[in-house]
Amino acid sequence: MKLVFSWLKEFVDIDIEPERLAELLTLKGLEVSDCYPVGKGLDKIIAGRIVDIKRHPKSDRLYVCDVDTGASLIPVVCSAPNLKKDMITALALPGTRLPNGMEIKEVEIRGVKSKGVLLAEDELGLTDDHSGIIELSSNIAPGTSLTEALSVEDWVLDIELTPNRGDCASVLGIAREVSAITGTPLKMPSIEYKELDEEADQVSSVIINEPEKCRRYSAGIIKDVNIRSSPFWMRYRLYLADIRAINNIVDITNYVMLELGQPLHAFDMDRLKGPKIIVRCAKEGEEFTTLDGVTHKLFPEVLLICDAERAVALAGIMGGLNSEIEEDTKNVFLEAAFFDPVTIRRGAKLLGISTEASYRFERGVDIEAVTVALRRAISLMYKLADGKPLKGIIDNYPIPYRPFSITMSVKKANRFLGTSLSKEKIKGYLSALKMEVKDIDEDKIGVIPPSFRMDISREADLFEEIARLDGYENIPVTLPYIRPSEQEEAQELRFEQDIRNIMVGMGFTEIITYSFISPEFRNSIGIPGNFVTIINPLTKDQSVMRTSLVPGVLEAIKTNISYNEYNLRLFEIGKVFIKRGEEELPEERSFLCAGVTGLWDIKSWYGRERKADFYDVKGAVETLLRSISSKPFSFEKKDAPSWYEQGEYASVCVDSYVLGHIGKVSSDVLKRLDIEQDVYLLELDLVGLSRYFVEPRRFKAYSRFPAVYRDISIIVKKEVESRRIEQIIKRIGGDILEAVHLFDLYEGGKLASDEKAFGFRIWFRSMKGTLEKKEVDKIYDEIIKTIIDETGGRLREA
Amino acid sequence: MKERLKELEKAAFEDLKKVKDASSLEEFRIRYLGKKGLISSVMKGIGKLPAEQRPEIGRLANELREKITKEYEGLKKRIQKQEKEKVFIDITLPGRSIPRGHFHPISTVINEVCDIFVKMGFRIVTGPEVELDYYNFEALNIPKDHPARDMQDTFYITDNLLLRTHTSPIQVRVMEAQKPPVAIICPGKVYRRDSDVSHTPMFHQVEGLLVDKGVSFGDLKGVLTLFVHKMFGADTKLRFRPSFFPFTEPSAEVDIQCVICKGKGCRTCSFTGWLEILGSGMVDPAVYKFVGYDEDEYSGFAFGMGIERIAMLKYGIEDIQLFYKNEIRFLRQF
Repeated sequence: MKLVFSWLKEFVDIDIEPERLAELLTLKGLEVSDCYPVGKGLDKIIAGRIVDIKRHPKSDRLYVCDVDTGASLIPVVCSAPNLKKDMITALALPGTRLPNGMEIKEVEIRGVKSKGVLLAEDELGLTDDHSGIIELSSNIAPGTSLTEALSVEDWVLDIELTPNRGDCASVLGIAREVSAITGTPLKMPSIEYKELDEEADQVSSVIINEPEKCRRYSAGIIKDVNIRSSPFWMRYRLYLADIRAINNIVDITNYVMLELGQPLHAFDMDRLKGPKIIVRCAKEGEEFTTLDGVTHKLFPEVLLICDAERAVALAGIMGGLNSEIEEDTKNVFLEAAFFDPVTIRRGAKLLGISTEASYRFERGVDIEAVTVALRRAISLMYKLADGKPLKGIIDNYPIPYRPFSITMSVKKANRFLGTSLSKEKIKGYLSALKMEVKDIDEDKIGVIPPSFRMDISREADLFEEIARLDGYENIPVTLPYIRPSEQEEAQELRFEQDIRNIMVGMGFTEIITYSFISPEFRNSIGIPGNFVTIINPLTKDQSVMRTSLVPGVLEAIKTNISYNEYNLRLFEIGKVFIKRGEEELPEERSFLCAGVTGLWDIKSWYGRERKADFYDVKGAVETLLRSISSKPFSFEKKDAPSWYEQGEYASVCVDSYVLGHIGKVSSDVLKRLDIEQDVYLLELDLVGLSRYFVEPRRFKAYSRFPAVYRDISIIVKKEVESRRIEQIIKRIGGDILEAVHLFDLYEGGKLASDEKAFGFRIWFRSMKGTLEKKEVDKIYDEIIKTIIDETGGRLREA
Repeated sequence: MKERLKELEKAAFEDLKKVKDASSLEEFRIRYLGKKGLISSVMKGIGKLPAEQRPEIGRLANELREKITKEYEGLKKRIQKQEKEKVFIDITLPGRSIPRGHFHPISTVINEVCDIFVKMGFRIVTGPEVELDYYNFEALNIPKDHPARDMQDTFYITDNLLLRTHTSPIQVRVMEAQKPPVAIICPGKVYRRDSDVSHTPMFHQVEGLLVDKGVSFGDLKGVLTLFVHKMFGADTKLRFRPSFFPFTEPSAEVDIQCVICKGKGCRTCSFTGWLEILGSGMVDPAVYKFVGYDEDEYSGFAFGMGIERIAMLKYGIEDIQLFYKNEIRFLRQF
């Protein structure tokens, strides 16, 4: 909300600089996000009097004026439609720089010299008005600087109001705060006007069908107004507050709203049908055209102001086109009401309209001050629009405001805040905020909040007011004793952090991608499942919750490749969302997904380059799993999810559970994503792992005796898996087998094309004593024999 | 015999001067000091000498052997040293380094923040990212049709299911499930329907809650001051100012002195010298009603902070979008 400093000063004396005030307000909870001077740079521009106006000899649009500068008479060429003889206006002489940076020069316009420029308000940087040159008060002497003539130098404070402080959405509201903070008394604007004898409530009446939704409706009737543009000072303040000037009547309603916080609406009374105003709810499907020309289909939740025949305004939101003030309006029906905040908010939301009025009604206006604002506006219409108010006002107030008292304990306040404020001090703060305070007993006080503080109803609300006025900075800093708790920690975060550490240790870089993905991306990868869908996504690309981390990882790979980063090892740890019932929370499950592409080893002075392949991601899984538990796991050939290449895929299994996948991304998927290099993925279900795989480590005693090894080189058919031979070695090796290590895999050469040779080194060691050669040889021979028997292999000759 | 020893001595010292490296040194040793060397052969010849000469020649020969040995040993050390110095490796060749991975800066900062609070006695708790309206709003004293809902633009799944807009629902879930003392810290992803230069639709928050008997606003100031000092340095100035959150009363915004300009005023702090980093406040009695705590018995405070903001300040990152582009050239820097 934009607050004009000079306006504020009409309500409360302020003897500090605007910037200091901004800081003070911020520290008291009214955050000033910006504070800037306005109306600067006009000291070189002077008032000039138009002495004579002649037509330009060569133009129909242009005039040549003789302008009195106070020192001399100069010719000025001008096209303004509002030129008048003896008019005092703004004049910039050659050499002057305008607030918008333009420099004025002496020029010749179609053969006529122009020694200056007459200026409109927008050229002066004052308002956006360009309808004509500015008209200054006739008693200003030519030659007076505009800074002096207009007193436009001012400051604007931009205040970010929190939703609870609707009472501060006005000059008066801020002034009340300043008054409470500084102890300076509040001043109220004058309300003076002469009334006609005819009584307002004899001419019209208000019927409220929904007293809960419209708790007060007051109105005044002003006759014979003259519609014109508002005086400069009013338009200037509206402009500074970001409100467009329309005409004097509409401007006054806006001006009083900004000033007192009470939205007002002026109807053209002659366009209202019948003598009555009715406040009722809209009917389903009823249509209404607001004054911006938009026709809305209404809902029963929307409250309407109606005349005898039809709706004339959306209560508290916007007036209707059928009854708005026009150029020829004579008689005004002026509304000031209190509408229920929830009703207005619901209506505004349903219709998708938000106005200055609805903003204030949603936050609650001062129900007791509704008629104050009404009279203030009437007085301005009397003064600025030549209006003749009827006697009195109409005031239908079916549910009057009932003040209530809050009992507050001073001891509790001090304990809660950690302060030691005296009862008197606390009473002083609350009184300064216009609360009525009474002693109940030694400790307790009774506090009646003012009608405009709709945010205060409980002890805690009072504690905040006390802390705020005393100053948060004055509350002593203490440290609590935090009692240790037996409740459990979130183990899954610790587990995820362990995984993260290992992945980074293995050279993988962590990424974080959005939890929502594009349905098309999902389709192009072929991820199945029931998706959790966002009904109001920002873009369609972010409209379904992921059920897999794969899209994010592939996307990141694609992005990096597009920046010429071809060798990547990326991973993400995050949740996927699996839909359950329509209104049920989805299952959220943590996953790890890693993607590898490009070279695993780059070419170096000590080694050759090597492309990443299946065994790199497999190795990563092996190292990762071995790091977190010593429980066995295996890789099995199973049906691959659709985004893998069936032939280069394995499931990661623990017991009978599939807890992850490794493999090569299918060429179809890569083609659809425009990725032109092989990508290998690793996916692990972290919830499954922590549940079925992680188990406490147990120490196993190991042998103190020496170990011996034997090497085996055996030729088998290509389809024989290394694991099969390893299992035979382990089975036959029994107790004394310590370890098996595959040190060689050989194909080609003297071998047949369907053959390969494995080289295993087998380590033996006994818990019971030093192994004898005989013993080892016997088992070794047995191993060879079994392998040959079971796999059809043969020993490879040395 | 004496002359022979003299000549031998002379020759040995001449030869010693010619020794240049390990191999010529070895030749020298074999020639003079070896088992079949010249001195040994003199020793062997002693037996053939007249008995009265034997002791003297024997003594002289031994002396000579010691003398030569001593010289030999000295030279040997010098040559060994020379030889070692001759060995050359290019220490500027790149090492066989193991490729290093990188933590996402958001993970790092979440860990740092949580660690500080865990050391103070808070325990880490998490909650669902898809939440019920009840936990995200209703039980936090943000009823439907309340202007406070405008503070957070929400992604909806259904009328009642939404992507949580803050980590605060975890507070309610925890309080529902247990009695005080509650001292929790809740990190996680949150979502708001907001995307521009300074907003991403998904970001991270850390939420904290302490509820027990006798917890005061002064304690809130103490805990958060300690946090700021640990996170940004013990000399970081901070201020608390009144604000509004529907689920705290009183509420306080915590500003720290701008870490970029040290309070002088710069672009990062919009020339105010202060940076808003934390929202906080005493838990509103309305929230206690929802979870069944007795507001006369217990009091407490809650706070929350945006991790991206802290990470941006910590690392000097100006563009929030960078956190989610996942470019390796960004991530590699952490």
